[in-house]
Amino acid sequence: MRLVARFAKDLIDSFEVIDIYDNDIKRYTLSKDNPTLETLTIKYPAALWMEKKINDEFGIIFKNSFDTRNTIKHEYFPKNIYPMRKSFSKKEIEFCDFKEYKYEEIEGDSLFVVPVGPIHAGIIEPGHFQFSQAGEEILHLEVRHFYKYRAIEKMCEGKKPLDILQIISRVSGNESIAYQVAYRDILAQSSGIEIPKSLKQKYAILLELERIIHHLTDLGFIPNDAGFGSALAFMSAASEEARRAMKKLTNHRFGFDTIKSELDLDYNILNEYLKKLKDDLIFFRDWIEDIPSVWDRFDTTGVLSKKNAIKYGAVGLVARASGVKIDCRDNDFYKSFGYEMQVGKKGDVGERFTLRIKEIFNSIEMIERMQTDSSESIELKDFKDGEYHSFIESSIGELFIYLSIKNGVVDRLYIRDPSHINWQLFHTTIYKDIIADFPLINKSFDLSYAGNDL
Amino acid sequence: MIRYWEKRFKSGILTENIELDKEFNAIKKELKKSIKKNFAGSLAIRMVDSGSCNACEAECNALSNPYYDLERLGISFVASPRHADIMLLSGVMTFNMYHHAWDCYEQMPNPKWVIALGDCAKNLSVFEKTYAIKGVDLPIDYTIKGCPPSPKDIILGLLEFLRSKE
Repeated sequence: MRLVARFAKDLIDSFEVIDIYDNDIKRYTLSKDNPTLETLTIKYPAALWMEKKINDEFGIIFKNSFDTRNTIKHEYFPKNIYPMRKSFSKKEIEFCDFKEYKYEEIEGDSLFVVPVGPIHAGIIEPGHFQFSQAGEEILHLEVRHFYKYRAIEKMCEGKKPLDILQIISRVSGNESIAYQVAYRDILAQSSGIEIPKSLKQKYAILLELERIIHHLTDLGFIPNDAGFGSALAFMSAASEEARRAMKKLTNHRFGFDTIKSELDLDYNILNEYLKKLKDDLIFFRDWIEDIPSVWDRFDTTGVLSKKNAIKYGAVGLVARASGVKIDCRDNDFYKSFGYEMQVGKKGDVGERFTLRIKEIFNSIEMIERMQTDSSESIELKDFKDGEYHSFIESSIGELFIYLSIKNGVVDRLYIRDPSHINWQLFHTTIYKDIIADFPLINKSFDLSYAGNDL
Repeated sequence: MIRYWEKRFKSGILTENIELDKEFNAIKKELKKSIKKNFAGSLAIRMVDSGSCNACEAECNALSNPYYDLERLGISFVASPRHADIMLLSGVMTFNMYHHAWDCYEQMPNPKWVIALGDCAKNLSVFEKTYAIKGVDLPIDYTIKGCPPSPKDIILGLLEFLRSKE
């Protein structure tokens, strides 16, 4: 069994903790006086951040957990409030006194610590990395996040389901389409309608295009971090072209706010673009294959073992590169359009790099076969109360969204971004690599900070 | 390698908006007169994300792709606030980033300016105030509008800002 998510809900007179597994759902009701529950972290280490988040937001205590430090409550965040409880309605809180956060550090003769972040040297999102070093070698890395914690889940509570579409679009810019499609699926379930196949195909095209953009960006940045700059110049041009194609299709470079009752896609533009992309990609693949200095950095760097990938319940391309067969697209709908799961073996940077190229080729093929002329429409309205969830394979991995509607408004929204799982296993890949390889490994994962922090 | 050069010559120069060069050169001349001491003919920008959705960052990264090639205008992103003239601030300013963003601002040498990137900093864009959002109270000198602003919007915004500083 793979743990997908563990999250809590405030039922006014009690708390409910819900565990989502890949083939099971477990529910626990906890009294408000003394909310405690046994931890899952011993069996599922990736439950750690989920439990810490629940602890910070609801005040539920997990017994026998190996780490009880705060996660969303940083140094200046008041520790005695539980903001996700229904009784908490403040929009403004005051800073508390500075309380030091104890990092995981390895101490010893000639060992030292390198703190990195939260504001980084490049143009990336904020997050903190604490390295324990023995010279060049990394002994341990602690990843600390939630600098971008915006409380999106709380923000959406009490709003009508259709009113939060714009927020859902902007949870994580790189996965916007995936978020929107996942949320649309939930709304369709709630209004009891079946999404017409042609519309499904059209949104799947956008989803694949988003994946292509994400992969292309990485294909440039990964070699760049290995000191091969011309690959970045080449691939950043290609990803710019992909963004422009997205702009022509959806009128937005990231595809924000594209959930509509109907969708018209201009296939001529798309096909013209895909033709060029295919040529570029074949050239790129052959070109980069012949650069030994790049592969010298790629191979055996940042290895995620299959054992760890399964233990942590890794998702997305990262898991597939380590030989774990997991993909939400592994179903009849996608297979009828030529979907083939791309699975690697070695789990290193090089494997993730080649897998990205292979996935783009597969996405191109699917987009070509998904194009349809029929236009059907849906109307999302009359949402029935209840609990709904959906899974979507975003460009990073399996995205899970849970929505509970009560009295016509959002009662609880829970989002489990693929990055939330993959960040937690990140430190296992980096042991005994040199610190200069960190950016390379980080880019080969390419996880979202905004989606993780919410 | 031969294939690479062949491809390189075939694709030629992709950079667009060459017309901006002229405009920028004109501004640069004036700039040199008025704030030569401060900018020395080039702008150094420190990008700080205080809680965006990452779209603004993606667009900033796009600025250095061959289509826009921002550095040819003498504008570059630097790795330390101590090298920066301008802080480019994206995001809603979360509770947890507040002190770090101010830290970064205080590390910048005078004279310094803050440019808000995207709608988040000014009015939270589509988001709403929650306990985890503090809101920006850094002294913002200029806002580049958009959600997210496209790379061209960013370049035009920076030019507009420079013009206002003449």
